[in-house]
Order: sequence, then C-alpha cells, then structure tokens
Amino acid sequence: MIFEKRTERIVIPVFFILALLLPLFLEGNAFFVGKLTTIVILSIFVMSLDFLVGRVGLITLGHALFYGLGGYLFVILAPEYEAVNFWLYTVYICGLSALIALVVGTVVLRTSGIYFIMITLAISQMAYYYFFDSLDYGGDDGVFIFMKPDTHLFGLNFFNLDNGVHFYYLALLSLLNTLLFFKLILRSRFGRIVEATKHNAQRTEALGYNTFVYRLICYVIGSTLGAYAGFLFALQYGFVNPSFLTWEMSGTALVMSILGGLGSLYGAILGTFTYEGLQFLFEHLTQDWLLLMGGAIILMVLVLRHGIAGYLEKLLEKKQ
Amino acid sequence: MSTELFFVQLINGLQYGLLLFLIASGLTLVFGVMGILNLAHGSMYMVGAYLVWYFVTVTGSFSLAALLSAAIALALGILIERVLIQRLYHRNHLDQVLLTIGMIFVFNALQSILWGNDPYGVAVPAALDASIPFTENSSYPVYRIFAAVLCIAIAAALYFMVSRTRLGMLIRAGESNREMVEALGVNIKSLYTIVFAIGVMLAAVSGIIAAPIRSIVPGMGESVLITCFVVVVVGGMGSIRGAFVGALLVGLISTFAAVLMPGLSNMIIYIFMILVLLVKPQGLFSH
Repeated sequence: MIFEKRTERIVIPVFFILALLLPLFLEGNAFFVGKLTTIVILSIFVMSLDFLVGRVGLITLGHALFYGLGGYLFVILAPEYEAVNFWLYTVYICGLSALIALVVGTVVLRTSGIYFIMITLAISQMAYYYFFDSLDYGGDDGVFIFMKPDTHLFGLNFFNLDNGVHFYYLALLSLLNTLLFFKLILRSRFGRIVEATKHNAQRTEALGYNTFVYRLICYVIGSTLGAYAGFLFALQYGFVNPSFLTWEMSGTALVMSILGGLGSLYGAILGTFTYEGLQFLFEHLTQDWLLLMGGAIILMVLVLRHGIAGYLEKLLEKKQ
Repeated sequence: MSTELFFVQLINGLQYGLLLFLIASGLTLVFGVMGILNLAHGSMYMVGAYLVWYFVTVTGSFSLAALLSAAIALALGILIERVLIQRLYHRNHLDQVLLTIGMIFVFNALQSILWGNDPYGVAVPAALDASIPFTENSSYPVYRIFAAVLCIAIAAALYFMVSRTRLGMLIRAGESNREMVEALGVNIKSLYTIVFAIGVMLAAVSGIIAAPIRSIVPGMGESVLITCFVVVVVGGMGSIRGAFVGALLVGLISTFAAVLMPGLSNMIIYIFMILVLLVKPQGLFSH
C-alpha cells in the first residue's frame, strides 16, 4: 500500500474528501474559494520543501527561488496578449526550472549543513535583487499576466482558469498528484537509497552509490515542483513580483513544514492549513496579529515535538 | 575614483565592517558555544536601536539612554535564555529556527505596538557632533570615527574576555567538550545563560551605536540579520576571528560596490559569499 502509516490512511482521504466537497458549501463565495486555492497551491510548495528538508536532508533557505522562477519564467516565455496552452507551458516551465535547478544544485550541493542553508539563501537573494532591480520585468512592482492560459488538452477542456472553482480543483488535483508522486519516489529503490544517504552518507557511498547524484536528482525534483506551485500562484493572482522570491517566503514555508511535522509530506498540508488558518483568524481578531502568530509558533515548538503529524501519529498509530 | 573619495569610502567601509563585526560576534559566539542558531539576533539589534531612541526622547541624554538600553538588553537576554532557549539545547537546528522565527514575529509586533511604524532618527550626541576637515572641501563626521573606535574597543574587550579570563576559558572549554566541563563541576547552565545574554547585549549595543548614523525603521533587524549571516558564514561559523575578517571584507566590498558597481551593489555580498564557499566550503576560518 502506498500509505504505510495508519494515520496517513485516515488523514489523507478525510482531507481530500473534505477539500473536494468544500466548494459546495462555499458556493458563490469567490473570496473563500480563492483563499482556499491559494492555501492548496502553497501546500504544494511547502510539500516540495518538506521533501527536500525532511526526507533528503537538504535544509534549503532558498526554496523561494523556484517559487519565483515558476512565475517569472511564464512572464518571460509567454506572449503578452495571447492565451497560450496551459499544459504545454507547464512542461516548458517545469523543464526549464529543472535545468536551472540542475545547475544551481551542482553548485550548492558542494557544501553541507549550515553552509548549505546559507548558500541556497544567497542564490535566492541574488535572484530577488536581480528581478527587484530589473527594468524589463517591472522591478519592485512586478509584472501583470493579462491572459490566463487555455487548458484544452486533446480537444477536451476540464478546467477553465477564469473560473475560480475550476482553478481550485486544478490546484487540488495538483496537490494530490504531488503527494502521490513523492510517495512513489520514496517507496522506490531510488527512494530507499536517498533515505540511506540521509542517515549515513559515508556508508551509502561505501556501498558504491554516488550520493551526490542522488541528492542532486532530489534537489531537481523538489525545486521543479516548487516552481510549478509558483507558476500556479502567479496564474491565480495574475501577477508576479519580487515578493515571490523573498527569504521570508522561504522561511515561512519552512515554518509551515516544521509545524506540520518534518518529512511526513502530508504534514506539509496540515502545517500550511494550520498556519494560514491561524493567520486568517488572528488578522480578524487584532491588527497586531503578528504577536499572536509569534506566540502560537513558539508554543507549538515547545509543545509539539514532531509537529502536527507527529501528534496525530501518537494518537492514531497502534502501539507496537 | 579620486584619492579623496577612495579614502572616504575606505573609512566608511571599515566603520561599517566594524559595526557588522559587533553584531555578528554575538551570533557566532552563541552558535559556536551553545550550538544555537538564533534567527532573532537581528531583532536584538532592532531592540537596541528603538530602546536608545526611546530613552533619548525621555531623558535627553544619549549616554544615559545607551546605558539603560544595554542593561535592559542584558536582562532580556537572561530572560529569553531561561524561559525559551534552555528548552531547545537537545533539539535540532530546525526547532531552533522555528522558535526564533516565532520570536522575530513577537519582537516585530511589540515594536509596532509600542513605537508605531514611523521611521525615527537619533541625533548625534552634542559632544561628538562635529566634523574633521579632510581636505579643503570635504570633512568626516566625528561620530562615525567614535563609533569605529568603540567597536574596536568592544572587540578587544571581547577578545580579552574569551582568551584571557576564567569565564573565557570556560566558554572555550564548553565549546569543545560540554560534558567534560560539566563533570569538572562547572555550572554549564549558568555559563550558557551568560553567553546568550552577552550575545544579545552585543547585538543591542550595535543597535545603540548605529542609531545616530542609520535610520530606525521596522524590519531593520531582518536585513541586518541576513548580512550578519553572510559575515559569519564567510568567516566560518562559530569563529570570532573569522567574523572579524568576514565583517571587514563584507563592509569594504559593499561600500565600494555601491560606488563602483551600483547595478550589482545589492547582490555583491552574496556573490562574494558564494565564491568563498566554492573555494572553502567551511568558510575562511573554520575550526
């Protein structure tokens, strides 16, 4: 079975069934459907980071680089006043992001530990300042995307991106696919070697595996899915600006992933929904919501040692 | 670049570098000794700047305000270590990242609640409000030189403390073998509290010194934090000497880049850091 833990077999179906039905309850409320779509897209981004940090052991503080690239690559590649094909551009953007991740990964993976954290941060900061100072891409203000892509595939059209509910379902499907994709990778022989690399790189090396290559492939996979999330987010809001690339973006995603329970993948969804939900709640309670948010984060670090997923697993797993 | 401009930039770069060292030294000390990655370190710099601004407006005296602010920072450091940081020694770096990001949120919120979001400035203290004539048509402000000298003095005191005093000996011993120091009957708990509080105070004192030269704005902690990380990573995490060299290099490079390569000035320190790490993946002065 693809989901090995009992908790996963309960939480994941419950989440996706609820998420599928939610637009029925929110019918006509474009604001909430839009907000929900954003959180689902963000969950994809956080999950791709969780894969890298929690499963491969690559603590990157520059994941926002790819979130931004996903958006900016679309602006760079697509003609301004013409609806391009969504699926085709998904392939373009993911392909190019993978290529960039390959180059960046080859450089950053030469370092490890805290130096890896810092060099990933440095590269994403460079991209941030590049677009911030750029004249071609609107600098600080960013760029608007006037035409949403067309989603016809083989003459069929399931999702019309101008329709908020359609967009939501596209995002949700993408999230499910991302989760299944990561699960399949981790279950494979490849995934087992990656896990071994994380636990003891030297021993894995001694067994004849080139750990650098395995880490690099994982870095490319995680980064590409991060870029896909950024691409979706840019399409949802119809703009890209340098805020996609800030280190706060990377940091917040890391917070969400740790809150959810590092390395659990489905925890990334729980972490993102909890964080965004709390923020939404606190913003409505008070102007100084940051105080409550900060307090909540501190409290959760002290109380939940393995994040929300860890807590659920403590409740739901059968005692061995 | 004329000789005159070159020297002004050189002094500016050194002065900025010395200030960076003062901030970064606390960060690297706490990491080196306690293994704690304190992302809220920049917030302590912000706290120092806001506190000194507040006390200057209340008391009218910069030196009194500076003393009060430094004392409050020290107390704050002890409090934070006792209440929060102490619970994290046996956790991994990511839990520390999460906790200290939570602290950044809290400090930013408190800054906004207590002092609002307008930018502030602190006047240069009257006794130091002068300029030294440089050439016929340029001069250099005394306060900036005073700030640089003060940073050197604090750096020297820090060096003396770490390398010559009993406390410094314990710090160095704790850095290499925590259990052994504990077994020899040293109260490592209080030692860590002291080290963390010193780290917090170093950041706050940098904020106090910087207040009359730089504007006091929300978010000032985060931008300085990132620069400090570049400094300590270039120097080698945990090494005070590395932080000193790294800070001067970063200070000089960013100051000169602002004049020579304005297009790249924001990026240059990151490019520099990547180049250093490609040659020496553990920084220049790693243990």
